Amino acid sequence: MSVAKEKFTQISPAEFFKKNPELVGFTNPARALYQTIRELVENSLDATDVHNILPVIKITIELKDEEKQIYRINVEDNGIGIPPQYVPYAFGQVLYSSKYVYRQTRGMYGLGVKAAVLYSQMHQDKPVEVVTSPLNSKRIYKFKIKIDITKNEPIILERSSISNVNNWHGTSVTIYIYGDWIRSKQKIYEYLKRTYIITPYAEIIFKDPEGNVVYYPRITTTIPKPPQEVKPHPHGVDLEMLKGMIAQQKTNMTIKEFLIEGFQSVGEVTAQKVLELANINPEKKIHDLTEQELVVLMNTLKKYEDFRPPTADSLSVIGEELIELGLKKIFNPEFVSAVTRKPKVYQGHPFIVEAGIAYGGSIPQAKEPIVLRYANKIPLVYDEKSDVVWKIVEEIDWKRYGIEGDQYQLVVMVHLCSTKVPYKTAGKEVIGDVEEIEKEIRNAIMEAARKLRLYIAEKRKEEEAKKKLITYLKYIPEVSRSLAVFEVANKEDVVKLNSIVNEIQTKLLELVSKRLELKDILEYAKQVKVESE
Amino acid sequence: MTELTSKVDIEARKKAAEILRQKFLKLKEAIDQGEPPIMEIPKRTLSNTIYDENKKLLLLGSAKLKRNFLDLNEAKRFMQTTLMASIIYDALINNEYPTIRDLYYRGKHSIVIKDPSGKTHEENTWDEQKESDSVIVDIEVFTSLLREDMLILSKEKGKVVGDMRIRSGNDVIDLSKLGHGAYSIEPTPDLIDFIDINAEFVLVVEKDAVFQQLHRVGFWKKYKAILVTSAGQPDRATRRFVRRLNEELKLPVYILTDADPYGWYIYSVFRIGSINLSYESERLATPNARFLGVSMVDIFGDGKKKAYLTEQERRNFIIKAKDADIKRAQEIMNYPWFKSESWKKEIDIFLKKKAKLEIEAMASKGLQFLAFTYIPDKINNGDYII
Repeated sequence: MSVAKEKFTQISPAEFFKKNPELVGFTNPARALYQTIRELVENSLDATDVHNILPVIKITIELKDEEKQIYRINVEDNGIGIPPQYVPYAFGQVLYSSKYVYRQTRGMYGLGVKAAVLYSQMHQDKPVEVVTSPLNSKRIYKFKIKIDITKNEPIILERSSISNVNNWHGTSVTIYIYGDWIRSKQKIYEYLKRTYIITPYAEIIFKDPEGNVVYYPRITTTIPKPPQEVKPHPHGVDLEMLKGMIAQQKTNMTIKEFLIEGFQSVGEVTAQKVLELANINPEKKIHDLTEQELVVLMNTLKKYEDFRPPTADSLSVIGEELIELGLKKIFNPEFVSAVTRKPKVYQGHPFIVEAGIAYGGSIPQAKEPIVLRYANKIPLVYDEKSDVVWKIVEEIDWKRYGIEGDQYQLVVMVHLCSTKVPYKTAGKEVIGDVEEIEKEIRNAIMEAARKLRLYIAEKRKEEEAKKKLITYLKYIPEVSRSLAVFEVANKEDVVKLNSIVNEIQTKLLELVSKRLELKDILEYAKQVKVESE
Repeated sequence: MTELTSKVDIEARKKAAEILRQKFLKLKEAIDQGEPPIMEIPKRTLSNTIYDENKKLLLLGSAKLKRNFLDLNEAKRFMQTTLMASIIYDALINNEYPTIRDLYYRGKHSIVIKDPSGKTHEENTWDEQKESDSVIVDIEVFTSLLREDMLILSKEKGKVVGDMRIRSGNDVIDLSKLGHGAYSIEPTPDLIDFIDINAEFVLVVEKDAVFQQLHRVGFWKKYKAILVTSAGQPDRATRRFVRRLNEELKLPVYILTDADPYGWYIYSVFRIGSINLSYESERLATPNARFLGVSMVDIFGDGKKKAYLTEQERRNFIIKAKDADIKRAQEIMNYPWFKSESWKKEIDIFLKKKAKLEIEAMASKGLQFLAFTYIPDKINNGDYII
C-alpha cells in the first residue's frame, strides 16, 4: 500500500546496517568501543536528566578475551527504566524513528544502541544483557537478547524478573564488543570529560580495563530545562518525511486536517492558503494523494513565507551557569564566561548556539586554543579540524580580546542544539558550514570573548596599578623615616621615632591609594614585606 | 678647656639645621593634612639660567619645578632628596663634617621588598655619586643653603699668600709668614674673619706653578698684592674667597690665565658664575674681576700697542689652536658678557690666527720679565679686558 512500508520489506534495516557499520560509527575496533560507550552513556543521560532525575552513571570496561580482544562493557544508570514489554524491541529490532514529533535528543541515529548490538553479534556469541526497572516498578527485569538480522526481529534468549525490594529504577546494559582499548583510550577519556563539563549535575564513575577508576562528582543539582516534543515545522519538511507522516496516520483524514494536525505554525487559514497555492482540494483524503501532489505540496510548504518561525521549545540548552561551572571544575581557569544566544532558524529548523570561554589558571599552555564542540549535548571528539567551529576559532583575532603572545591558555566551548544538526559527514562528528549557524557560532564566541576582553583589560589595569604601587611602597619607608628625623632629632627616642614613622607611612599610603584609585590597598600593602637593611 | 670646634662653626650649624628642619617639616605637615607633599625647587636647566645685565651675573631664573612624591616620575628623586636632607641634618646636629662622598655612602643602601606573590623587588637608593651629588645641589637650591653653610666639605685646591691676617676657626693665621708654602683656602670661606690687611690688589693665577714662581720671587711683597691660585678650574671656596676680598676689602681683582678659550672661561667663572652652578653665582661670582692676560694683543700687538713677544718668540711659543678650541671660542663669542668691544677684538684675533699661548711661555721669556715687567706694566697701564 504505502511506498514507505514496501521499502522495509525489500531489505532488513538490520541487514543494511550490518553491511554498512561505518555509517553509524563502527569503522574499526577502536572506534567501535568508543561508539558503544557513547551510545550507552547518551541513552543513560536521556533516561535521567530529560526526566528531571539527577544522573548517576557507572561505566565499566573489562577485557574478557585477550586473544580475540573482546571487551565487556557495562553501563548502569538510575533513569526511568524501560517497560519490560518494550525491552526486546528497544534492543533487538532496528527501526526508523517511530514518531514524527520533534525534539532535541542525544541519540543521534534513531537506531542508537541497536547498532552496537549488531556489531557485537558480528564478532562474538554473547547476547546483550539488559537489567531494568521502570519508575515505581515492583519488579526488576532481566533479558538476554540477540537480533535476527534477516528478519529484523529480537531473539529473546532469556527473560526473568525478581522482586524490587529497594525500589531501584534504571537500566543496566552489558554488551560484548570486539574492540581496541589502547587506540580508543584517549578518546573515551576525552569523551567522558567533555560530557561531564556540560553535565556537572551528573555523577559519573568509570572503571577502565587497566583497573583505573575515575570519579566525576556531582557539583550542582541544577538540571537544565528538558526539551519539549513539538510537531515539525513545514519549512523543515522533505518528501520522505511527508510520506512517512502520512503513512503513520491511522485515520484517513483530509489533507487540510492533516496539515493542521501534523505541523506547527499551521492553522485553518494557513492550511487553506497553502493548499490553494498547491492547487490541492483541501477535502481530499490524505491516502488518496498522488505522488505528484505530494511533491507539489512539499515544495509549496518549503516556499511559503508566512509561517510563524519554528518554536524553540523543542530545544534544551545547557545554560550559561552550568557551562561556566563545568569549565571551572575541569580546567580550573582564572576566568570563565558563557553565553546562550537567542533561538534562530535555518531551513525551517530552530537552533540555539551556546559558547563558553575559559582562560588562564591551570589551563595548559598550547600553540592553539582548546576547542570543545558539542551538538545536542553530545561532545564531538573526532575530526576537530574539519569542523566549522574550528574554522571560526582560527579566524578570530584573539589579540583583539587581550590575549597576547603566541601561546594560548584558552578553552573555547561551543554547543549547537537543534532539531536537526547539519553534520558534514555520515560519521556525525563534524558540524558543517551552514551560513546562519556559522554566523551564530561566531557571534556567540565573540560575545563570550568580549567578557574576557573586559576581564583582561581590568586585570591589566589592576596589575599596572599594583606595579605603580610597588614603586611607592619601596620609597614610602625611606621618605617616612627621613622626614621623621626632622621631628625627632634624638635617635635614642626610638619609640617616638617609630610612631612618627608609622604615622607618616599610613598617611602616605592613603594618599597613594587615592591617587591610584585602588581599593583595599592597605591589605595589599600589609602583605608586602620590607626586607631592606 | 680648649674648644675643639670653633664658635663660628657651631653658630653656622644651628642656623643651617633650623632652616633645613623648617623646610622639610613643611612636607610632613602637608602629609599630616592629607595633602600631597610637594617640593618647589628652582629649575636648574640651561633655559632657566639667566644673565642678569644689572648685576652682571649668571643667575637662576624664576621657573620652578614641583617635585610631588605622588608623581610616579618624581617619587624616587623625592625619596632621594628627603633621604639626603635627613643625613645632612643628622650630620649638622651631631657636629660632623661630611664630604659629599661621605654623604653618598651614608645614604646608599638597597631597598628590598617582597610583594604578596613572593616576587622580590630590589633597588638602590642611589647607585653613583653623580646621583647623590645632584640631590645635594637640589637641596641647596630648595633651601637656599649652600653646602658650605651646611658644613659639607669638599676637596679644595685654592691657595693664597699675601700680607694679611685672618682668623680660621679659633686660630689667627698670618698669610705673609708661610715660608715657601701657602694657605689652603678652607672649604667654608664664609667662616673666615679678615683681621687686617696690607695690600692694593688681588692677582689670581690659573696655574699653580706660576703662582709658586711669583711667590718665590717676592712678587706679592714688592707690589702689595694678595696672590691667589685656583689651580685650574676654580672651586667654590676659591671663588667665594676672591669675592670676599673684592667685596669686603674693596681690592681690585686681576685674573691671569693662558691665552686660550679655556683660560677665558676660567675668568668667566670667576666674574659671572658657572652655568652649572648658577644658583650660587650671587655669592660666588666677582662681577668686578678683570682679565689681565695673557691677551691676544699682548702676543700679536695691534696698531696702538707693540707686542710683548718678538717674531722669533712667537714662532717658538705659540701653539696651534685645535678644532675644539675654535668651537669653544665660537660658543663664548655668543655669551652676552663676552660681547664688549675689547673681547670681540680678542676673540677675532684668536679666530683669525688660530693660535694660543700658555702663560708659562711668558715665564720662559724670563721669570723676571713676567713678574717685574709684564704684570706691573699691564696693571699700571690699565691694560686689562672686561
